Amino acid sequence: MKLARVGAALAIASIVVGACSGSATTAPSAGGGASAAPASAAPSAVGGASAAPASAAAGAVDVKIGIELPLSGADLPNGQPTLNGVKLALAQIPVPGFNVTLNVQDDAVNGVHDPQQGAKNIQTLVNDASVMGVVGPFNSNVAKAEIPIGNAAGLVQCSPANTNISLTKPEFGAGDLRKTNPDKIAYVRVATTDDIQGAAGADIAYTIVKARKAFVIDDTETYGKALSDQFVATFTKLGGTVIGGSSHGVPKSGQGDFTSLLSLAKKDSPDFVFFGGVTATGGGLLRKQMVTAGMGAIPMGGGDGLSDGAASVKGSFLNLAGDQGDPNTYMTVAATHDIPNPTKLAADYKAMFGAEPGAYSASGYACAQVILEALKNVGADRAKVRAYVTDPSHTYDTVLGKFQFDKNGDTTQRIISDYTFDPGTKDWKFVSQKDFGAG
Amino acid sequence: MTRRPGRALLVPAILLLLATLDWSYVGTEQFVNALTIGAVYALIALGYTMVYGIIELINFAHGDVFMVGSFVTYWLLSSLGFNGTISDLPLLVVVLVGTFLAAMVVMGGIGVVIERFAYRPLRNAPRLAPLITAIGVSFILQNIIQIFFGPSPISAPQVIDVQARVNLGGVDVSVVKLFVIAVAFILMIALQTFVSRTRMGRAMRSTAIDRDAAQLMGVDINTTIAVTFFIGSALAGAAGVVQVLYLGTTNFQLGFQAGLKAFTSAVLGGIGNITGAALGGFLIGFIEVNSTVAGFSRWSEAIVFGILVLVLVFRPTGLLGQQLGERA
Repeated sequence: MKLARVGAALAIASIVVGACSGSATTAPSAGGGASAAPASAAPSAVGGASAAPASAAAGAVDVKIGIELPLSGADLPNGQPTLNGVKLALAQIPVPGFNVTLNVQDDAVNGVHDPQQGAKNIQTLVNDASVMGVVGPFNSNVAKAEIPIGNAAGLVQCSPANTNISLTKPEFGAGDLRKTNPDKIAYVRVATTDDIQGAAGADIAYTIVKARKAFVIDDTETYGKALSDQFVATFTKLGGTVIGGSSHGVPKSGQGDFTSLLSLAKKDSPDFVFFGGVTATGGGLLRKQMVTAGMGAIPMGGGDGLSDGAASVKGSFLNLAGDQGDPNTYMTVAATHDIPNPTKLAADYKAMFGAEPGAYSASGYACAQVILEALKNVGADRAKVRAYVTDPSHTYDTVLGKFQFDKNGDTTQRIISDYTFDPGTKDWKFVSQKDFGAG
Repeated sequence: MTRRPGRALLVPAILLLLATLDWSYVGTEQFVNALTIGAVYALIALGYTMVYGIIELINFAHGDVFMVGSFVTYWLLSSLGFNGTISDLPLLVVVLVGTFLAAMVVMGGIGVVIERFAYRPLRNAPRLAPLITAIGVSFILQNIIQIFFGPSPISAPQVIDVQARVNLGGVDVSVVKLFVIAVAFILMIALQTFVSRTRMGRAMRSTAIDRDAAQLMGVDINTTIAVTFFIGSALAGAAGVVQVLYLGTTNFQLGFQAGLKAFTSAVLGGIGNITGAALGGFLIGFIEVNSTVAGFSRWSEAIVFGILVLVLVFRPTGLLGQQLGERA
């Protein structure tokens, strides 16, 4: 009893303290996100006067960009470079009249991205009235859990990496995710979709590798299954054969042991193996076990889930696949490789973080640009930021190039980049990119 | 130990028949795969079943003991400077024997420490209490490993050449897999001999049947239980070495998944029963491989647990029943 009373007192105290600090950071908009008229008036005045970096100026309004990425465990090689891209954007782009900081939430639980944790994180960000927009999430299954919450709250989310078709396209069930406000979408993404990425993977297999008989494996997750299914459809259409006619699922809880599946595959002597999944769900182990099974000479391909750094990065696909596994591997990234100014971005990134940018650093940067652009134009009003970002008539000039978001929130930049292993640098090397047009 | 002598012959006969039929269905290579996967599950399952048999505790930390074993192996091999295949046979033998001994002794020791501090003080507490501390120990082990080795999966040195094959009846079979199966069988036979032939083994069996009566008869309960934990954890340590040799990778979460499968094996075979746990492990290996061969890899987990439910409906005590503890 006594303990319970003390606990209750502490809880009340913390609520009071929280409320105080909350009202301090959002002082100009006393009523929370809805009535932010004074806040939006102030920045436009300052913005009109000068475009100089004024983030540290006195009287600047404190606003936040929410970050919702997997930032621990096996997904860290994906999440961290993306977060760094956002940080770089904040450091480089002045938003006069605002003091923009981050509210960082990690959706990895025990080292792996977790939809339930993602949903909790979005709720946390919704509850932080100073958050104007969110960059994230990274994984499609996490997005599926988050979009309904963001939609109901009217908090805009820009994903740098989600590629699953069902997240945006109504014909694949996206309507179910935005039931609360079907007309006010609150989710956009700068990566293009799996129907295109899976097709690009099939294109690599058929055209570049000249494979005719593929064995397809997926990790049974939202992203991996859809990617594999699209690979199967396109590869078959191009004239190739898929062994067994469909993708073979291997749940992650199988300890990443693909041995018996590979023994099965070997009987039909495939000339390409496609993996729909990410490194954390077994990508690197699959390649390593292909070597063990005597299938190391068979090329393997996958989507952007394998794009997590050089062989020297601990836990990356190339690191786990091993020296014998790395050659003959391919992957695609659902974004443009030939960004308008890659050298500048790489140099700035290296100066700030001491490393090469990751595959999604530029995408994280672009998402931050989109949200900052909206902030500059409409001020610190969450509803207006959402409306501005999702307006299909706005063109964004970002590090990825110019693009718009269509009425579903998908980018109009539908470009897939192909990569292969480079034995010299022991890292992924860009091969070519293909524009799939404004479908 | 069986009460009806007929069953002692019947069960192996049925198993042999099933195995032969399955061999002709899946082929030699997949048969060896099933034995290899099963061997790992069986080695871990033995620890679950021994601990349950003697103190009726479902030791949820046991899967993590296996995981720590794989990290001990990784740490040992990489700090000794091995980063790939060892082609020098005498050296390989020395390294393998050394690694197995070291991992088993270290993990056995850790098992005894866990028992001493997390379970012994709660031995007479309600059964839920040690179950919760077991979950706690599981998290502690995971977090310790995460702090020291990081959260990413680790690529560990495979000292046996994974591409080496021997010809078995016209089929090339991986040497590593045969080695894994052999190690598992040797350890299981050693365990069975220890439990059924030695004085300590008899103490373990009598403690399992009735702890108080055993104590009255002069059995040192604390030592007996500690030895049980030592052996169970040492076997999990051996499974950890096997994991590194066979798959060449580990991560700090490996224990949960492996532990779940191994626990299922123990229940399937009859928890508390050593032969049953080994049988359950191999059965699950075979179920998984068969579902893959039949084209149902996506459903292998569902099939495993579906069969578990079926077995438990018709034989609540598992396939071989509870040999050690008669109290359920």
